[in-house]
Amino acid sequence: MTATQDIVPQTQNQAEDLENLNRVWRHPRGVLGWLSYTTHQAIGMRYIVTAFIMLLAGGIEALLIRTQLAHSNNTFLGPDHYNEIFTTHGTTMMFLFAVPMMEGMAIYLVPLMLGTRNVAFPRLNAFGYWMYLGGVLFLYWGVFTNAAPDMGWFAYTPLSGPQFTPGKRTDIWAQMITFTEVSAMCVAAEIIATVFKMRAPRMSLNRIPLYVWSMLIQSFMVLFAMPAIMIASSFLLSDRTVATHFVNPAEGGDPLLYQHIFWFFGHPEVYIIFIPALGFASAIVSANCRREVVGYTAMVLSQIANGFIAFGLWVHHMFATGLPQIGEAFFTASSMMIAITSGVQIFCWLATMWTGRIRLTTSMHFIYGFIAIFALGGMTGVILASVPLDLQAHDTFFVVGHFHYVLIGGAVFPLFGAFYHWFPKMTGRLMNETAGKLNFWVLFVGFNLTFFPMHILGLKGMTRRIYTYPPEMGWDQLNMLATIGAWIIAIGGLIFLANVFWGRRYGTVAGNNPWDAESLEWAAASPPKNYNFEYLPVVTSRAPLWVPPEDRTFVTGLRNDRREVLVTTLMDAEPHHRYVLPRPSIWPFLTGVAVTIGFIGSVFDAWYITFGSILTGICLIGWFWPSRPVELEP
Amino acid sequence: MREVKTLDVSHLPPYEISSQAPLWWGQLFITFIEGTMFSILIAAYFYTRLRMDVWPPPGDQFPHIGLPTVSLVLIILSAVGSYWASEAAKRADRMGVIWGLLLNLVLAGAALILRIIEWHSFNFNWKTDGYGSYIWAFLGLHTFDYISDLVFTLVLLVIAMFGRLGPRQRVGVHVDSVVWYFIVLIWIPIYIVVYWGPWLVGTQQ
Ligand code: HEM
Ligand SMILES: [Cu+2]
Repeated sequence: MTATQDIVPQTQNQAEDLENLNRVWRHPRGVLGWLSYTTHQAIGMRYIVTAFIMLLAGGIEALLIRTQLAHSNNTFLGPDHYNEIFTTHGTTMMFLFAVPMMEGMAIYLVPLMLGTRNVAFPRLNAFGYWMYLGGVLFLYWGVFTNAAPDMGWFAYTPLSGPQFTPGKRTDIWAQMITFTEVSAMCVAAEIIATVFKMRAPRMSLNRIPLYVWSMLIQSFMVLFAMPAIMIASSFLLSDRTVATHFVNPAEGGDPLLYQHIFWFFGHPEVYIIFIPALGFASAIVSANCRREVVGYTAMVLSQIANGFIAFGLWVHHMFATGLPQIGEAFFTASSMMIAITSGVQIFCWLATMWTGRIRLTTSMHFIYGFIAIFALGGMTGVILASVPLDLQAHDTFFVVGHFHYVLIGGAVFPLFGAFYHWFPKMTGRLMNETAGKLNFWVLFVGFNLTFFPMHILGLKGMTRRIYTYPPEMGWDQLNMLATIGAWIIAIGGLIFLANVFWGRRYGTVAGNNPWDAESLEWAAASPPKNYNFEYLPVVTSRAPLWVPPEDRTFVTGLRNDRREVLVTTLMDAEPHHRYVLPRPSIWPFLTGVAVTIGFIGSVFDAWYITFGSILTGICLIGWFWPSRPVELEP
Repeated sequence: MREVKTLDVSHLPPYEISSQAPLWWGQLFITFIEGTMFSILIAAYFYTRLRMDVWPPPGDQFPHIGLPTVSLVLIILSAVGSYWASEAAKRADRMGVIWGLLLNLVLAGAALILRIIEWHSFNFNWKTDGYGSYIWAFLGLHTFDYISDLVFTLVLLVIAMFGRLGPRQRVGVHVDSVVWYFIVLIWIPIYIVVYWGPWLVGTQQ
């Protein structure tokens, strides 16, 4: 592949253009400057790094859990600590690792894949990150001041109500939700707007990369699912702090209502985590099989269907609450239906591999691992979707085994594949492939060793969320196996970290397109410049980089002395107008601080809502205050 | 040097005040979020209603219809002001923007005062019972949005009167009108639930 530099247009003032671009997109300097960044690569990277630290934190908590459960009558952790740790583990993994990680990857990759220079709302993007960070710091502040939540990651009332969980633990949990959901909604809105309006010219809807489709669908799901959890956690919080009567049965509230609203969010949440992973899989499979994914349309439609069906499944988490039979039957049917649409996608990848020329990279290993593990997790899912079986397995380690197969197999394995795949784009160097494959096998073996025995333990009657068990139960061996597995996973994690640090330092220099992949991010430099592309590409095919260089077209005529991008039409991506993105600004950070003061304060005193709102209002006015007029002269 | 095909976009306008603007879309999605939030709240209201024998619980007064209805009419009319301002913004007509925003603010402000008067007459609050919690949640959340947007509109008005009315500000006026339409539209079902709800699905005492 020829370097892209050779084939960009040679306008007379190319040197000047470049200089302008570099100047206009340069990051502001100093600490205040650092807090003012608005480029999508920087913000995306902040999400990725923070979420990775959260994965490590959640992982350490998982190790503590497993160490405690290693043998019967263990006294490594007491019951209270155990409760705190599994709750913090679940909460961290779901809210602070999985969703933000997927968002960070999207913030980084989507503008590149669409052939544009940034997301549609760069300042909102920065603000979203500060909100997320606020949630992280708040929860872990609680953890380190003996106020970690301890009522399980879904915080059911009445247990989570003021009678049974006094103190601030649950309040911190509920408000942490608010932080992360605000962040998720910012990202969703801007991803959709970016995909709709800022695609490269002629990248019509049926030419956008499958990964971008998956993020588009995921973002819509966020728009409709996240409000539910905001309501649920606000109900809980206001019941606890200002004595409302929504979900607290002691006050005439309805605990089942809480469960309905929570799972109306909670089930789609799983797809919010896992649909982006499907996108990773598609990108990795097509790059490494050196052909486009088979069945583009089938793939897109089945993902859209998944998105819809996901909203009709929530009751399968509540089969044990004794809802009317007919309702349960409906939810059983729809839960099984989703296996069909998920199956379509698996077959599309298999067909792509079958007909492609496979290159067995590390990322491909992770995709194979994903398909194997996810299929098993799907199978136990179909089992659990059947009411009589679920009533037996509910709240046992069978369920813990199942959802880790789906979450780790369905999301974390593709994510690691994605790390190996895009690491060279993000850092300019490749990770070591041999160590990568070792990394995969250690994780794969460790994973199955940890979670497969949990199914059997569940069937033998071991319930989840118990801090220990007596030796007569006969659960010792399997638990020891699972604990050994968990430590093997930890070794896998260390290998990954070592590979990252090694790769950044000594890895082979990657060049623009080390995998000879087809999507636009590989046309940018590695790591990309702040403006991504010197000249925005025009897209004439689903695989723009597999089009011979002489047939490619580039956009000229954007002004380079300000942060200008091109807005295109929704369906066909015809150029419509130019759009000047705002400059870096400290206001998103200050607004984040203001909102944080309001959110955290209101846990302790409702007056902070007013105070925080006023502060936020002032910051927002600063944020939107018109900048120098020169910005918009034609 | 090899000849390269190019697509020149320098003739395209450098901004746009319409549904083609990314900001318009962003705002639309924010309204989706809020709309979903209120829909869930409404669903929760009826869910809770179904689990109660007496609704509103004994002792809670039934809402009045008169004042809230006048207020509703004023709110709907205030959207005319927004529309006027946003059309004027598209034409860069400063006076139109000012008058439109002013009309919007006056009518919306009046409606707000009526709402608050009615609110004051309640003989229950959020702590009294589930019914009270819901009514206060509906009113509280919507009024929060409402006041926030009024403040934002006021800032726009001040800018339009004393500052620069450049493209960015005009896009702001346009987007502000989208927000306002949403706030007005979502108020209609909330109005029905809050003020008619007890009469329609309640138990007459
Ligand atoms: C790194 C390897 C991991 C191990 C060894 C592990 C282990 C465990 C164990 C043993 C439990 C059950 C605790 C109990 O019920 O007593 C648990 C719960 C849970 N895990 Fe993991 N886990 C891991 C990774 C993850 C990941 C990546 C996610 C999500 C993306 C996740 C999400 C959860 C959730 C939501 C719970 C439920 C917490 C609760 O019951 O409230 N875990 N984990
Ligand atoms: Cu589910």
